[in-house]
Amino acid sequence: MKSLRLLSPLLLATALVHAADLLESDYYKITTFPTPKETALEVGSIELLPGGKLALGTRRGEIWIVSHAEGNPANVAYKLFANGQHEVLGLAWKDGALYETNRYEVAKLTDTDGDGRADLFDTVCDKWGLTGDYHEYAFGSRFDKNGDLWITLCLTFSSHSNAEFRGWALRVKPDGTLVPTCSGVRSPGGIGFDADGEAYFTDNQGPWRGACTLQHLVPGTFQGSPPSLRWYDLASNMGPRPIAPNDRSYMVAERARIKELVPPAVYMVFGKIGNSSTFICCDLSQGKFGPFPKQIFIGDQSHSNIARVFLEEVNGVKQGVVFPFLQGFKSGLIGGRMDDGSGQLFVGGSDRGWGAKGGQPYCFERVDWTGRVPFEIHEMRAKLDGFELTFTQPVDPATAGKPDSYKAREFTYLYRQEYGGPEIDEVIPKITKVTVAPDNKSVRLTFDKLTKGHIHELHVDGLRSATGLPILHPVAYYTLNEIPK
Amino acid sequence: MFRSFIFATAVLLAVRAWAVEPQIINIRTLPGQMRYDVTDFLVAPGAEVRLVFENLDDMPHNLVLFQAGTDVAAVAAKNLEKPELAVKRDWLPDDPRILAHTRAVGPKAREEVAFKAPLQDGRYPFVCTFPGHAQSMRGQMQVARQGPGLTGLKFAVYLGDWKALPDFAALTPHREGAVADNLVQLKFDDYKNQFGVVFTGKVTAAKEGDYTFLLAADDGARLFVGGKKVTDHNGNHNVREMREDRVHLKAGEHDFRLEYFQTTGAAELFVAWFGEDFTTTPLSKWVPENFKDLGPKIRKTPPATMPLVVGTEPVIYRGFMANAGGRPIAVGYPGGFNLAWSVDQLNLALLWRGAFFDAGRHWTDRGEGSPPPLGYDWVRTSGEAAPPFAILPTAEAPWPRSERKAADMEIRADGYQWKGYALDEKRFPTFRYEWGGVKVTDRFDVQGEATAGGKLVRTLKLAGPIPANAWLRVGVGTIQPAEGGFLVDGGAFGPHESKYLVTVEGGRIAGSNLLVPARAEIKITYAWPGGHAGHAH
Repeated sequence: MKSLRLLSPLLLATALVHAADLLESDYYKITTFPTPKETALEVGSIELLPGGKLALGTRRGEIWIVSHAEGNPANVAYKLFANGQHEVLGLAWKDGALYETNRYEVAKLTDTDGDGRADLFDTVCDKWGLTGDYHEYAFGSRFDKNGDLWITLCLTFSSHSNAEFRGWALRVKPDGTLVPTCSGVRSPGGIGFDADGEAYFTDNQGPWRGACTLQHLVPGTFQGSPPSLRWYDLASNMGPRPIAPNDRSYMVAERARIKELVPPAVYMVFGKIGNSSTFICCDLSQGKFGPFPKQIFIGDQSHSNIARVFLEEVNGVKQGVVFPFLQGFKSGLIGGRMDDGSGQLFVGGSDRGWGAKGGQPYCFERVDWTGRVPFEIHEMRAKLDGFELTFTQPVDPATAGKPDSYKAREFTYLYRQEYGGPEIDEVIPKITKVTVAPDNKSVRLTFDKLTKGHIHELHVDGLRSATGLPILHPVAYYTLNEIPK
Repeated sequence: MFRSFIFATAVLLAVRAWAVEPQIINIRTLPGQMRYDVTDFLVAPGAEVRLVFENLDDMPHNLVLFQAGTDVAAVAAKNLEKPELAVKRDWLPDDPRILAHTRAVGPKAREEVAFKAPLQDGRYPFVCTFPGHAQSMRGQMQVARQGPGLTGLKFAVYLGDWKALPDFAALTPHREGAVADNLVQLKFDDYKNQFGVVFTGKVTAAKEGDYTFLLAADDGARLFVGGKKVTDHNGNHNVREMREDRVHLKAGEHDFRLEYFQTTGAAELFVAWFGEDFTTTPLSKWVPENFKDLGPKIRKTPPATMPLVVGTEPVIYRGFMANAGGRPIAVGYPGGFNLAWSVDQLNLALLWRGAFFDAGRHWTDRGEGSPPPLGYDWVRTSGEAAPPFAILPTAEAPWPRSERKAADMEIRADGYQWKGYALDEKRFPTFRYEWGGVKVTDRFDVQGEATAGGKLVRTLKLAGPIPANAWLRVGVGTIQPAEGGFLVDGGAFGPHESKYLVTVEGGRIAGSNLLVPARAEIKITYAWPGGHAGHAH
């Protein structure tokens, strides 16, 4: 693997490999670890520890310390650090202590006698409510640039807010103070930060969510799921309670009515990208994980896959594009963490409760970049009258310049109380102009029609790289909240 | 592994699934478990089936029934190959082997589907075809096998006005003949009154075993199989009186003889049989329309068990538990002592002895529910949502409560802060919280065995300025002095008497509360009356 990385991408691209032979696994390799026999390692959260170790929090309430996960999976070693916690869906390391987010609280775990097991469980914050419903999950982030920890709380039954702050994103200050931050959360699956430290969470398809979404957590905003609106009396920092959205409306229309409403940054198109979005991992490895620095990788528990997201800010709103990235994991992915130093991505999860592809009830796996650069759309940016695509390798100007190489479709979901929803209001735009940049690294597409609020689906099956390769994942879904002015 | 999906082969024991009226099958989704509550049901061949599907889950599901032998996992997987098309069909597969299906049924919605069961016996799989659901949301409809009919059936009609079955052997038949369709029937000639019929033929048992014959007659009838009288249903009665008698038959042909008489009025005769491997099979042409005692056999999915076993160290389990207060921490101690300490009440909520806890419900499917603990002699010590300490004007004053106004749910009382817990070298926990400026620690040690007169010793330590008139509430219920301490009857809940013995220095009965003045160190012992297991019952 190391030797492969030394080869230049150009050398590989000119190796005259037949296009049809190239698979995801030629670029990214999945390694499956053996797991401790005495437990079901249903990974819910992953954190890096000093000395190359990892901590895994599980749905069964255990925290395992993992050694030697960077190399041969046969050498991996596990040690139980804590157990009996209530679903560990957040782990964060700071100043010699491990912080866990479980359903009850954020707690600081310390091993005071050095026997490798936690013996001090200091509660940092537990100022939120529970009724005892299984859906009342709590997902915790790592510490942000201010030293705060972010939490998202699932609704009761994933549809009601029957206890304090169900359906909210909260921040916990280092002194344990709780800061109500965003309302409108439904059923989160993961929480994380982009390269600039902005916080995001993934939400799941359901009432008021036509599909799973990637949501930008702008403090003070309403994220779209209304049952949480009842707790503004407990959140004076949030200002007045926003008005509730109208049922069977559109996100665009309700954004015009509700000033606090933030649209999904990206719709994780249901059935195509995934069905149950989970972890959020930004690639800060500076190229060690391949050609996508600062892009965001998102897990899926149902499809057992990872999607890739590129975000931009347009008219003050985050929005962007999602691409399929890597599939074939052994179970539904929930937790994920990239080692920014090595560029290795550690993931794990379980299929329990909602079912998953992969065939295993739980898994702990690693993704390594092989060093070979896949031919992919690198970025997709919205323009006044279309989109600009950049690529990971130079394109073949003949196929890239042909309008027939592209096929576009626009659609949206109703913003409604009913669960999920079909793709509606389809628009088939005409691509009126295609301009390939002189360096053959980007293409400018002009559409006859862009639809604000619609997801713009683009297929690029006809496109070829300068060396004749097709795009590895020739589909993109861009959520056009805003058209650039 | 911890998955518990049972799709065992059903043994059709004395199945009686045949009916004229539609068979109503109720299937519900189990909320949060990705399962149907019924995974196996039985219908008669060709039966009119009305399937009532109720989705109790919080996401949409469907139920799609396929031809016998369909690989539903493959169908579901194929459905995912072109998700953009499948989503347009609401995830209903495009597959000609579908026999019947519901539409996508939203959360808390229901749908009824009527269809005719296939004539061919067999196992017909059903599944939820939403992506990923087929792994656990499966079941089967069994179409029962029909038993063999009669062979060589002959009739002999006798004329006469009887009040009961006569001795037909002593009478001369009016008319005799063969029954072409081998089904018992009464429409011979146009006799309506004052006649009798004797049917003779063969019934074939495919294997040795128990067989049950059903007989209804208006007026009287008598059944012999293999020369032995199986049913004597003599006299003048209504056809609604169904008789049911079992007979043991060796494999092979057996003589079938059915005697019948009619005076006046209605005249009907019904006979049927079922065996260990076939469903109720009529042997008569007429079948009663109101014959409803033929309900389908259904199989419910059993829960998984994953008991947490306590060894030499205490086992800690934080999870929702019945009668254990909000945010419970359950601890199973060596010696068979168990407790649940509520982080919302900041107090001991539940004691029990014996086995600790079964995590099966929390560690399978979505982990729904607040299961009760294992073990026995459960004792509820704090009884209601209330703070551990309070300042009272008099000891008899009512103890404050701490509940949410909107719902009857526990909430931590004002002025308290949960700080967490520490484990000592034996891994025994000490719970820590603050009450105003007072730092409180609360821990439990065990003395002996819970089932052999042992005690649980609780030590609360308070550091900081303790307010005046502050009390700790140790117990709630009917309290009386006993054995140098107090016997507290916490009030029965479920099958549990909730009686326990407490010793505490300075303890005071104040109405229904057992109080002790707040001080730097409070030691309390807990034991069960009589000490030994079972005495509390």
